[in-house]
Amino acid sequence: MEKDINNSKDNYELISEKRTKRRTMYKTIDTIMRGLFKLSGLISALMIVLIILFVTIKGLTVFLPSYENPVDLGNFLTGMRWRADQQDYGVLFIIINTILSSFLAALIAFPLAVLSALMITKIAPKRLSGVLTTIVELLAAVPSVVYGVFASGVITSLVDNIASFFNYTTFGGNSMLAVVLLLAIMIYPTITSMAVVAINAVPESHELGSLALGASRTQTNFKVVLSSAKSGIFAGLILGLGRAYGEATAVSMVAGNAFVGPTWNPFGITRTLTSTMLSGMHETAGVDYDIRFSVGIILMIVILINNFLVNYIKRRIESGE
Amino acid sequence: MTRRRIINDKIKEALTWLSSGISAFVLIAIVVFIFSRGWETLNWDLLTTGYNSENLMADFVHVDMNEFSEFEKPSNLKDDAVFSSKYGIAFVDGIDANKETYTKVVYLDESSPLQDGKITTAGPRQGEQLALHEGLYLQKISYLDEAGDKKSAGQMSPEGKEASELVAILDNQSVEIVDFYAQTEGGGLRGSIITTLILIGITLVIALPLGIFAAIYLNELAPKNKLTSAIRSSIELLSGVPSIIFGLMGMTMLFPITQLFGIDGQSITLGAMTLAVILLPVIIRQTEEALINVPNGMRMASLSLGATEFQTIYKVVVPNALPGILTATLLSISRIIGESAALIFTVGTAITDNPAWNAKGTSLAVHIYTVMGGEQPNFELASAISIVILTIVLILNVSVKVITYYMTKEKDEPAKA
Repeated sequence: MEKDINNSKDNYELISEKRTKRRTMYKTIDTIMRGLFKLSGLISALMIVLIILFVTIKGLTVFLPSYENPVDLGNFLTGMRWRADQQDYGVLFIIINTILSSFLAALIAFPLAVLSALMITKIAPKRLSGVLTTIVELLAAVPSVVYGVFASGVITSLVDNIASFFNYTTFGGNSMLAVVLLLAIMIYPTITSMAVVAINAVPESHELGSLALGASRTQTNFKVVLSSAKSGIFAGLILGLGRAYGEATAVSMVAGNAFVGPTWNPFGITRTLTSTMLSGMHETAGVDYDIRFSVGIILMIVILINNFLVNYIKRRIESGE
Repeated sequence: MTRRRIINDKIKEALTWLSSGISAFVLIAIVVFIFSRGWETLNWDLLTTGYNSENLMADFVHVDMNEFSEFEKPSNLKDDAVFSSKYGIAFVDGIDANKETYTKVVYLDESSPLQDGKITTAGPRQGEQLALHEGLYLQKISYLDEAGDKKSAGQMSPEGKEASELVAILDNQSVEIVDFYAQTEGGGLRGSIITTLILIGITLVIALPLGIFAAIYLNELAPKNKLTSAIRSSIELLSGVPSIIFGLMGMTMLFPITQLFGIDGQSITLGAMTLAVILLPVIIRQTEEALINVPNGMRMASLSLGATEFQTIYKVVVPNALPGILTATLLSISRIIGESAALIFTVGTAITDNPAWNAKGTSLAVHIYTVMGGEQPNFELASAISIVILTIVLILNVSVKVITYYMTKEKDEPAKA
């Protein structure tokens, strides 16, 4: 009997010792994994800071006096000619081209997108609205390079036909108008899906109130629903414009890369920030390589200013109500 | 309501119909254009052959042509094929994607004297047996005429550029074939397809753990404070950065990391790491959404049964969020296949047949960019690749929709019961 008791006591101690060991092990695993999860979160968050930092530093080196043959910052910011072969890098007209073509694209895409969003959420019967939602999602999923092939096959010949109607000749259809149409198609799904979300968030009571006051369905949709969803729709516009500024592959296929500018003629070739960054990809060192990063900084600044401006306008409109 | 208002309303409603009609029209136009231009070029050979064609030269040993009787023309030969009854071989004429004429072998009889050539091109295959087999593009064929002189015919010779002319020369003037020079079919996508697959593999290996871990941290562990909301908004900002900027980042920030592996210059690994950063916000958002949907009761139950925090996450929370993680993976793959600007900077634009993790290459999307960038853009090939990309991307997106549909359906049903 005594032996048994002793035995079980030993067992108990053994088990409890094992248990403590296991518990410390679990605790260590918990701490390690906690750290790992947190680290992943921090790395993901740091990425944006690192991107801005690295691109900015690299982009600024070409202007430093210590650079082999430094580019003049003043000429870079105010120049209206981009001749990489003559070491003449002026980016101002490219900025104007980029903003102009993106704005014109938004001008086309924005009303279409908002109306389509209204159609999807309020007007179309359920099945049709499902089909339209799928269409918008698929348009958003089409890769940019496929849009590029489409643009240089269809949009350019369309532009060429329009131009010859007005007695203009184009460089095979490569033109600002082609860029504008292409960008309008590409940002349309972005704005639409944001607008759908915004319209869906409008409380039903607003609508019912408007209808009860005797407004027609269409009046309610346009005057009550759209104006209530305004801020969400503007968020979509910001996203769309951001996409338009940053769109690279497709745009570079139809831009034509003009050397001087800005381009005001819709049938003339143009040059955007992104098409400049993509041109001459065979360079792997030297000014032509490094100047890309400087153009990258400009692109980031343009997007940043755009977001601030649109946010500011949005706030003005909201407070004006 | 006044008549004017009714008309006004009708016009506005018509505008909404019109604008959604335009979107449908654009999608259809894209699909129709891509398919009409690319469908004929797209075939199985295009997907499985390499981009660079192989040059092959081969000699024939002396054979007495009198040993061979006349070959019979096979009945299944197409109308445009020209058959040589003396050698039992058939050719067709054609124009390739670069607008140049070619002569392609479409049939070779099993007992033809052209079956046993020996490769004379320097390289590992030298001395191997090579028939002038089906699928080869004949450039030049040398023969002995009745006087015993060596003469040549074919694309690279003055005579015999057309199949009918070539066959006439072979049948009537030649006594014996001496050697030939031919090319294998080129312009294929095999290398780019493999590159894309390697890219998908490496990218997911990097991005999935990082993204899922970050999502777990944000949803399960992070305290509700300013740091957490700062992390959230920085990740949100990341999704608004254009992909070309990610490309620049890859070139400066990630390039030194690949240098540690001894890689000099652009490489598939560099591209994959860049893609991983691009995908982080997508994966984090999708995973977090799935984690939010796991009922809190499950976590409580697991913890109250004595499971540790990690055990709860690993055995209860994550398995329940798997469909969401699967969605994230599919969306990531679709994004990788479609990505071009960032990859042009980090993986390069040179099409390769032997992709390796530490070498340059082109994904399918960049392959399109390369063939469109030349002096003469190759629409047919670009459209054919676009069909491949578009089909995969659309299938992936539709499957994501289906998965999400069933996920929400499953959630709703117990609630109803």
